[in-house]
Amino acid sequence: MSDFLAEVERRAYKQALFAVRDDHAALDIVQDAMLKLTEKYAVRPTAELPLLFQRILQNTIRDYYRRQKVRALWTMPVSSLFGAEADGDVDPLETLDVQDDSKFSEPPAEQLERSQVLAFIEKALEKLPARQREAFLLRYWEELDVAEAAKIMGCSEGSVKTHCSRATRALAATLGKQGIKL
Amino acid sequence: MNQPEHELAKKIVQHLDYGVDQLEPRARARLFAARQSALSHYREQPVAVAGLAWAGQAAARITDHRYASARQLAAISLLVAALVGIAYWQSNGVTNEATDIDTGLLTDELPINAYLDKGFDSWLKRSSR
Repeated sequence: MSDFLAEVERRAYKQALFAVRDDHAALDIVQDAMLKLTEKYAVRPTAELPLLFQRILQNTIRDYYRRQKVRALWTMPVSSLFGAEADGDVDPLETLDVQDDSKFSEPPAEQLERSQVLAFIEKALEKLPARQREAFLLRYWEELDVAEAAKIMGCSEGSVKTHCSRATRALAATLGKQGIKL
Repeated sequence: MNQPEHELAKKIVQHLDYGVDQLEPRARARLFAARQSALSHYREQPVAVAGLAWAGQAAARITDHRYASARQLAAISLLVAALVGIAYWQSNGVTNEATDIDTGLLTDELPINAYLDKGFDSWLKRSSR
């Protein structure tokens, strides 16, 4: 269990960070997921742990989205009551589209450092619709097969393939706009 | 998915792995603490308890299909037990009463109240004819 958690914790944190864009919230999500895994599934065979952990992690991220939505639902009428301006909260779910960003509109340098490329990739991932990002990370980063990813996401295998394909194309387009060739 | 998309995905993942290796020390420390906290909880469970927990979880999984939760199952069991208890107590009380009268008649040890009862007196007269 210890080795398993040590192996997955940093990727899990990054996954949560791409999804919620808040490092404190991302760390809380990973901590919750690790606790749930050890509390409920400590006696399960090691081979089952990756799938179980990913399922818990994705559910915890979704719970965070739900809480954010509920909070937004309550705070919005209150803020409108007092005439406050919307503070730029965005729905992180399906409403997100790949858009141009002013940060990316600078002319790309020929010799980008690897960390700079990584920053672009991470930004591009953050901008993907949640389901596309989830499918992409589960399939390619966590190396789950289509059936396993579909099980975690609660959708059909066809949907997983579609989300993956769209995610990759969107990432390619975003990186292409910046002249980044991997 | 076609080959170029797959290749691109692999290259993106290589960069993401690099990013994981470059994670800032503060986040690493916090993750380490979170892991230790989770593992301390895990280590508190001895093997036998873990086995029982597994059996409990298995039983709960089975019952989950029929009942919403173990709490509901316990509540239903309690209700059934209470109903059975009440039914038994009531039938037992009536039987005991009838048994007492029969025993009294057979042993001629009826309580004095029985002889004062007019119905019993007329029944005695009728049965003695």
